[in-house]
Amino acid sequence: MTRAADISCVFRIHLARVRREAGPFLLAALVFPSAMYLFAVAVGGAEVAHDESRLRLLAGSVVFSLSLTSISWLGYLLLENRFTGRLKLFATLPLAPSSYVFGVLVFALAQAALGTTTLLLVGRALGVPLRPNVALLVLVVVLTILCLCGLGVIIASRARSFSEGSLLTDTLGAGLVLLAPVYYAPEMMPRALRVFAQLLPTTYAARAVQTTLAGGHDIGGELLALGLMAVATLALGFRLMKWRED
Amino acid sequence: MTTTTESLLAAEAERAGVTRRAESRADAPVPAVRVRGLFKRYGDGTEANRGIDLDVRRGEVVSVLGPNGAGKTTFLRQLTTELRPTGGRVSVFGVDAVAEPLRTKRLMGITPQEAGLFESLTVREHLEFFARFKRLSKREARAAAHEVIAELGLVAETDKRVGALSGGQRRRILIGLALLGRPPLLVLDEPTTGLDPSSRRAVWGVLRRAVAGGATVILSTHYMEEAERLSDRVGIITQGRLIAFGTLDELLARLERSYRLSYRDPLDPRGDARARYCASFAEAQQHVAREMLSEYSIARASLEDVYFTLTGEPFDKDETEATL
Repeated sequence: MTRAADISCVFRIHLARVRREAGPFLLAALVFPSAMYLFAVAVGGAEVAHDESRLRLLAGSVVFSLSLTSISWLGYLLLENRFTGRLKLFATLPLAPSSYVFGVLVFALAQAALGTTTLLLVGRALGVPLRPNVALLVLVVVLTILCLCGLGVIIASRARSFSEGSLLTDTLGAGLVLLAPVYYAPEMMPRALRVFAQLLPTTYAARAVQTTLAGGHDIGGELLALGLMAVATLALGFRLMKWRED
Repeated sequence: MTTTTESLLAAEAERAGVTRRAESRADAPVPAVRVRGLFKRYGDGTEANRGIDLDVRRGEVVSVLGPNGAGKTTFLRQLTTELRPTGGRVSVFGVDAVAEPLRTKRLMGITPQEAGLFESLTVREHLEFFARFKRLSKREARAAAHEVIAELGLVAETDKRVGALSGGQRRRILIGLALLGRPPLLVLDEPTTGLDPSSRRAVWGVLRRAVAGGATVILSTHYMEEAERLSDRVGIITQGRLIAFGTLDELLARLERSYRLSYRDPLDPRGDARARYCASFAEAQQHVAREMLSEYSIARASLEDVYFTLTGEPFDKDETEATL
């Protein structure tokens, strides 16, 4: 109960903060992923005529949005808290580091929900044939966010400076999407990259999102991979996120 | 406030199930803070604290003085569980601060030397949110924030964003965050640095009221007058060691020459004022007569003189002059 109250308080602090910066926040959360979908459709050419291709591009944009939310923006937030001394403020409180991370994570989930919903509405308005399996889609989004947030926490905990950290989060946020078969089919990738992509969470996230958007439910392998990666990255992230220095 | 302090301590004792028993065994209250053999070596080999032993009694104000880099902040950061000691023990009201940092922090209000605030929150929001982390209900948090805002003279800034405030006002918010929930121990690292004289006076008043309500205060300061006016006991740390700890009178008694003769050399009337320490008032007068001094003063030694004698370094003149 206490922990839930702490997590809620951390979430509300960050929400109150965003309330004051609503313009840029909405721009980033709503417009950018939608623009990415339109861009992908535009460069896709004749290939995009197929429903499956348009579904892949929409799923890719959802994953891109999740990646931006949980690595780039969340990482930036954590880095900002750390390097402006706000983390020190939390460290003076009887608050577990994990409660702080979960509070920020809930904030990332709220952002992800907003971004994903917007993209689905844009997709529907543009005629993408959607038959989303909502429950499974929510599960995939949550697991993807947890997994990618873990990476954001790791970077924010280990970066030696704000600029180093923000360079890493930006690179990883975009890199994980561009190096994985998110916007294109795996067979279009060089063989070595295809093997490497099997290690990236975005590969499984893109496949799972695409399947659930088409109404499918055969994503056990993807869920397992995302779940294992989430456990691994969050466990490492929590281990590194400490109030107390040695 | 006393009730809150006592209830917090009682709650923690109940959780631990040891403190009260320990008290009854020893037939004396557990000190607010007990430090034994505190040793801190950083990764680069620097020994910032080298075997500090210290007991802080309940309800007293202890100031920690020392030159820059002496190890004061390292000492306080270990008390507040922010830094893990390399060796030694720290307990707060009987709670092991090394083994149980969260429980320890429930008993403390902490003002770090430097910390950032959320600039887009208002003063009220900031205090209310952080009061909630101290287990206050929504209504209690609102009342606590209101009280702290009034105490620290921030009423006019209540609904202003933190980002619009001056450095001194932000510093007062950091002190206010420590006061929320009336913790039995306040650990303040240079709390009044950067405050103007009237704000500093207001903070002293707030700390005095907290102590009157049962709180214990440990603070580091760069202001000699602050240490003299506020403290029951003063500790002087230099090169990682606590070289002196006691009341002002006890520290003054350590001086063999406890009278300070300040004078201008008659042969160099435009030169800097000089000082000489004498064992007695008579000895100082004899020196005045012998040297035929015309511009001089004789006074009992002060904390500043103790500091100079023990550390071999003058207290930072600029900082001393910046006091009230």
